[in-house]
Amino acid sequence: MIELALHLVVLIKVVPDGKEVFVDPVTFTLNRSMATNIINPADENALEAALQIKDQTDAKVTVMTMAPPFAEPFLMECMSRGADEAVLISDRAVAGSDTYPTSLTVAAAIKKMGDVDIVFAGEKTSDSSTGHVGPGVAEFIGAELASYSRKVTYENGYVTAERELENGIEEVRIPTPAVVTILTDSNDPRRATLRKKIDAMKRGIITWSLADINIPADWVGLRSSPTVVKKMLPFPRKDRKGEKIEKEKIPELIDNLVKSGVIRVEAE
Amino acid sequence: MKLEDRLALLNYKIDRTYAHITVKPDICETCPDHFCTFSCPAKCYTLIDGKLNFKYEDCVECGTCVVACAHGSVSWTNSKGAHGVKYKYG
Amino acid sequence: MSEFDAIVVGGGPAGSSAAMRLASAGHNVLLVEKADPPGSKNVSGGVLWGNDLEAVIPDWQKTAPVERYVKAKGVGFLTKDSNIGLEFRSSLFDKNRAGHMVLRAKLDQWLVKKAKDMGAMVASGITVDRVAFDKGKAIGVEQDGDLITSDCVILAEGANPRVAIDSGLREPLNDKDVAIGVKEVIKLSEKTVNERFNLRDKEGFAGEYVLGFLPDQVEAGGFLYTNKETISAGVVISMKHLRENDRTYSFDIIEQFLEHPAIAPLVDGGSVEEYSAHMVQEGGIERVPKLFGNGYMIAGDAAGFSFSNGLVLQGMNYAIASGIAAADTLIEAKKGNGVSEESLAGYRKRLLDSYVLKDLYNFRGIDEVTWGKLPHRAIPNALEHIMKGLFIEQGVPKKHLYQLMTEALGESGIRTSDAVLEGYRMLRRM
Ligand SMILES: Cc1cc2nc3c(=O)[nH]c(=O)nc-3n(C[C@H](O)[C@H](O)[C@H](O)COP(=O)(O)OP(=O)(O)OC[C@H]3O[C@@H](n4cnc5c(N)ncnc54)[C@H](O)[C@@H]3O)c2cc1C
Ligand SMILES: Cc1cc2nc3c(=O)[nH]c(=O)nc-3n(C[C@H](O)[C@H](O)[C@H](O)COP(=O)(O)OP(=O)(O)OC[C@H]3O[C@@H](n4cnc5c(N)ncnc54)[C@H](O)[C@@H]3O)c2cc1C
Ligand code: SF4
Ligand code: SF4
Repeated sequence: MIELALHLVVLIKVVPDGKEVFVDPVTFTLNRSMATNIINPADENALEAALQIKDQTDAKVTVMTMAPPFAEPFLMECMSRGADEAVLISDRAVAGSDTYPTSLTVAAAIKKMGDVDIVFAGEKTSDSSTGHVGPGVAEFIGAELASYSRKVTYENGYVTAERELENGIEEVRIPTPAVVTILTDSNDPRRATLRKKIDAMKRGIITWSLADINIPADWVGLRSSPTVVKKMLPFPRKDRKGEKIEKEKIPELIDNLVKSGVIRVEAE
Repeated sequence: MKLEDRLALLNYKIDRTYAHITVKPDICETCPDHFCTFSCPAKCYTLIDGKLNFKYEDCVECGTCVVACAHGSVSWTNSKGAHGVKYKYG
Repeated sequence: MSEFDAIVVGGGPAGSSAAMRLASAGHNVLLVEKADPPGSKNVSGGVLWGNDLEAVIPDWQKTAPVERYVKAKGVGFLTKDSNIGLEFRSSLFDKNRAGHMVLRAKLDQWLVKKAKDMGAMVASGITVDRVAFDKGKAIGVEQDGDLITSDCVILAEGANPRVAIDSGLREPLNDKDVAIGVKEVIKLSEKTVNERFNLRDKEGFAGEYVLGFLPDQVEAGGFLYTNKETISAGVVISMKHLRENDRTYSFDIIEQFLEHPAIAPLVDGGSVEEYSAHMVQEGGIERVPKLFGNGYMIAGDAAGFSFSNGLVLQGMNYAIASGIAAADTLIEAKKGNGVSEESLAGYRKRLLDSYVLKDLYNFRGIDEVTWGKLPHRAIPNALEHIMKGLFIEQGVPKKHLYQLMTEALGESGIRTSDAVLEGYRMLRRM
């Protein structure tokens, strides 16, 4: 039997660079004014996980985001790392959508493609970190889900994913079509190359509106979003007892940590 | 303000797979001046127990250490695209 | 057939200007910048002097992200206790805006965007490895093992020209070529900046200082420029003299500058928003490399085009002017018989006709006098002695200025004969 090329879709979201966002000490709101945008960190790992499968198997990788046009350079960046095509779902009507209409819209676009085998998403985003969208998409397209995965392989219609759980690693094997959500820092994303970047810019980006994926405008947007963000609070600041430990005092420090139960010494 | 606090203000995209600067430990071993420890504005070069310790993670890519080291120990390359320090004012 | 008419390496002022000029003349140009977003690795003091940008962006003074314009220019000699300074504050600057304070992360991103709008293809977040040569002709650039071809490569990679060095187009740098620039951006409020520096609206103050109080051999200049609601403060440290001292840390010098009794009140209460450092080109005309060859040209700091006489540090203006000159040379070559070593020779001529190389020739050897005992120790000490004698009541009969000056020379720690000789050399070269 001849295996047809796999179709892998990677979902990305453009987020403000977390290292440049801070909580305003007076108003307690997030100050993003100095922040530049980046690809959500976990999504870089999701793209890498997909590209690693493409390295092994004949596969086509599509990156996709639902966002305003400012996301275009970030889709370009994904193509410059090895993705074959990029889709931007852009429509004024989606503004203000929470994870429900976001998942619904993304799922509709995947359905329109028709031939998708594996969808890769980040475990969560760095700006609102609900972790809903991957599982939501799985639900809407009727696919199996492997969440919190750190390594993904594909063989003969099955996806094997190493899932990192609180008390260990679980390996699951699920049939395609499948959705996997990928852990932040679970791999080292490859870098873009100039050759691929030039090719990406020549190919350009595919833009779909809601009409293109048959989603009525009143299914999305703020009014069709059940979530209401009522309040945002920073973590209460705990001033820690800072103590400087000189080199000679390290054994004493270890003793104290053992006594207070933070660490345990085991005999070899 | 301590240098460490000033450096902590910076945003880096650290490249976990590529060190853009490397030193040759055998040359540093016999170095008479350790001038790099004085010239590097990001304190990437420090002496620990008399031995040179170099860490590239704090590097702000000023490029001066390759000139500062008069003993040919420093190999300097550009950071790979989009990695390293990211200033917001400049 | 090459893929591009030109590949420009580096999206600083030099590279963006070249790309804008080429793209708006209809050429197929690729601008490659290692930082993402563009500008996020670049550092200047930053006063952008002159009006060179006008040639590529006619309305830049109104549309560019500039912070303030220079309304007052100060020069100060700092001793341990004093600042003996001169200020030029003039309404002449209102009509003829000679300089603008800029922050490079914003400015460079804007310039690169302009280049893109004018039709250049921009690849940011990509580091070029080398210029590719075939039979002595530059045929494009190498990046991660791939060759991207172009009729001409314009190297505009800045003060630390790795590509030029690794491609054999420039010698490795030495102590004479470079100084270490260290800078902080300090946040105040717009109102505080205006009050402390006696400014209104978009008016700005640009001060440069000789740090005469530093220990032993260490020599450095300081700068303090007002932005809208921040202050750019920094030091430029001579590599050669820091080495001679070999006891002082580069990162301490900026703190000593900011803690100086004349500077501290100006930045008092401000929060440090950013610490940065960057190489400064110092070599002068002697260290300018071969500027062009078959299929390539070098512009901006990468070619050593920057100018500092201890009192001003300029480079962005030379970068822009040289980037435009390189682009114009290529445009002309393309109209004629194509790109060759001969057709690119016009680049050098254009620079000689402009202020870029003229300045560098005129101020040849300036580094020998701007970095030296006379400006960095003798003048500050002598000035302080005179001022003390004139204004600080010491319970002794007042002395004549002449007497004070002779004493001051003694105070300065330099032999009179040397002072006369050095003073003469300094005046001639400045
Ligand atoms: C401060 C703040 C709080 C918020 N709180 C909530 C909330 O409590 N509930 C809620 O429903 N919404 C909330 N939102 C809105 C939410 O940001 C958006 O609905 C968003 O589209 C997806 O949610 P997420 O960022 O949590 O994604 P997650 O579900 O955490 O993202 C997981 C993965 O899904 C993929 N993905 C996420 N967004 C997209 C997209 N637009 N296009 C393509 N792929 C995508 C990426 O692979 C991502 O890594 C909040 C927004 C903000 C700014
Ligand atoms: C502390 C300090 C204060 C200064 N103050 C002033 C001042 O007040 N006024 C003034 O006019 N000048 C000042 N200068 C000098 C001025 O900053 C420079 O002369 C000017 O930036 C030179 O412009 P450029 O375009 O040649 O190089 P740069 O501005 O350095 O731009 C080079 C660009 O190339 C990119 N690049 C480098 N290598 C590669 C590669 N291999 N591949 C892809 N991209 C690459 C870099 O990321 C950068 O964006 C100051 C400099 C310093 C350090
Ligand atoms: S890097 Fe150079 S200056 Fe620094 S310790 Fe090594 S040999 Fe000496
Ligand atoms: S490039 Fe500059 S900051 Fe980086 S290690 Fe060298 S001297 Fe330090």
